[in-house]
Parts: sequence; structure tokens; C-alpha cells
Amino acid sequence: MLAAFLPLLFMAVFVFALIRKVKVYDSFVAGAKGAVRLVVSVFPYMAAMFLLSELLEKSGLEEVLLRFLSPVLSALGIPSEIGKLLLVKPFSGSGATALLSEIFARYGADSYIARCACVCYGSSETVFYVAAVYFAEVKNKNLAAGIVISLAATFLAAIFGCLLCRIL
Amino acid sequence: MNFVFPAFFLICSAFLLFCDPQGFLPALMGGAQRAASLSLSLVAVYAVWLGFLQLLADSGLSRLLSRVLSPVTGKLFLSDEESLTAVNANLAANLLGLGNAATPSGIRAAKLLSEQPNAKRNLTMLFVLNATSLQLLPGTVLSLRSLAGSASPYDILLPTLLSTLFSTLVGVGAVLLFFKKDSRC
Repeated sequence: MLAAFLPLLFMAVFVFALIRKVKVYDSFVAGAKGAVRLVVSVFPYMAAMFLLSELLEKSGLEEVLLRFLSPVLSALGIPSEIGKLLLVKPFSGSGATALLSEIFARYGADSYIARCACVCYGSSETVFYVAAVYFAEVKNKNLAAGIVISLAATFLAAIFGCLLCRIL
Repeated sequence: MNFVFPAFFLICSAFLLFCDPQGFLPALMGGAQRAASLSLSLVAVYAVWLGFLQLLADSGLSRLLSRVLSPVTGKLFLSDEESLTAVNANLAANLLGLGNAATPSGIRAAKLLSEQPNAKRNLTMLFVLNATSLQLLPGTVLSLRSLAGSASPYDILLPTLLSTLFSTLVGVGAVLLFFKKDSRC
């Protein structure tokens, strides 16, 4: 059922556009033309961000942070096994996806830890990636407040989510 | 970012200097490499979704969509109709879990909002909405979980939905509070 959603969505929009007498081909091409320019403006921010996340991982700073964080996390009801996931997700979606598969393989997809990991993964977003990419074309970037608010909200949601996993 | 970037960069570099100085340049290159290869696939992804979005705009569907979402977004954003349309397209894509379609409309929304009064408040709101995840259906998690042989992959749906709703409400509430005092910045 899920798989049918995208083809149906596209077909519906194409048919609707045809009814509205839109030149579908010209319109689609006009939109797609912006893709290269968009990627070019986004690339430098993405490079800086990925470079930082790579450094964070390779330098071992991540491990150190985790060692400090895990007692705090356990006290708040978050299994310390998913601390790394919480730390990686704001920087890298693909990194977090890899960690999620790893957790499934190690603890089993139906374990409590895996369910917490699913909820934390699903209720969080790649905060720094969004900050870097969405605002690539904005001159006056002042996102400090937004980043702090988003990270705090994500963290609270993780605590709340793990609580829900225990009672639901 | 002008503070976060150098701070993290220097701390990490100092760590590497002591444990693995050889790994420094490969780490930098690895990061840039990831950006380069992701960019290449993003050209393809954006071509599809920007074409699709243009079709939505030209056929009048995005205005229709806007009329549905505007009662909510009109309260959260203090801006004109044009940028609200981009915001609505961005939010709709997020709700449907089409993250790749959300990005181009999000960038357009950010650009339009930044050229208007109340830019800081509106941009922070847009950012928090996008960075606290609005997804109704966590597709990646569901497919990964059933691949890993879960007996009931869907049992995380409700807690995920509640927790993502919670994070968005906390975020939006915080933005509203934060900008309550100076509503004209």
C-alpha cells in the first residue's frame, strides 16, 4: 500500500496538470533546471559539515563525549546503547541509519533497546544538516536560537519516547 | 556556526594530534568526499522533485494545498502569501516523509522569508519545524525493521508519532515564547 503512494501521487499531479492545460513537459523541465544551481549553492556548507562530523568520529571525541553522557542518559531512562545514535543523528542521517541497523543486528529488532532506537531515530532530524543546507541561500544566518531549541526539543522527545516504549 | 565550527574543529584536531596525526588529512578528505558524492546524487534527486514542484505550482495545486494548511501556518509565520505557499509545500513534504522533496521547497521558503520583515522569527520557526521532524510515517525505520525480521514492525508507530509531535510542540512553543518579547525583530 505504501509503495503505491508515490506513483499515485505523481500520476494524480500529472493528470491534474493536463486537465488544467499546463504544458507539462516545459513546466517539469523548467523546475528541474534549478537542480544543479541548488546543489552548487548547498555544496560548500555540506562539505564543511561532513568534514566536521568525520573529524568528530575519527578523533575519538565522540567516544569521550559518550562516556560522559551515558550515566546521564541512563538516569533519564534512555538506554546508553543508543547514546551514539542520539549523538550522530543531528549530523548525519546516513550515519544514524547505519547505527540503527547495527542495533537491530546486535540486540534484535523487537528488543526494548531497538524499539527505543526506532522512536529516537524517527522523532529526530538531522539538525545541523538542515541548518547547513536550508539556509545556504540566506545571507544573514542567525540560527543559534533555532539550533539550541531544536536540539533541546529532540532530547526531551527522546526521553519521552523511551518512557513511552516502556509503558506502551 | 562561526563559533561552533572552529570550536569543534580545533578540539577534534587537538585530539587527533595526540592519538593519530596521520589520520587528520584523510578525515578532512573523507568528509569533503562524502559531500561531493552526496551532491552528485542530490542533483538527480532535486531534478525530480524541483520538476514535480514546478508542476504543482503551474497547475495551481500548491495554491490549493496552501489554502488547506494556511490556517495553521498563517498563525505560526508572519509573512506574505508567496512565502507562505513555499512554507506549506515544505511542511506537506515533511509530513508525508518526502525529505528530499522538502529540501528544495524549504530552501525557497527560507530565501523568501529572509527578504521580509520578521525574518529572524520566521526563519527560526521554519528551522525548528524542519529540525524537529514532522513525519507522520517513519518509512525508513519501518522498512529497516521489517528487513531485520521484526515480528511487529508497526508497534513503534504510536510512540514515534507521539514523541515527534511532542518535540515539534516543544520547539514551536519555545520559538513563540522566545520571540514574544520583541515581535518586530
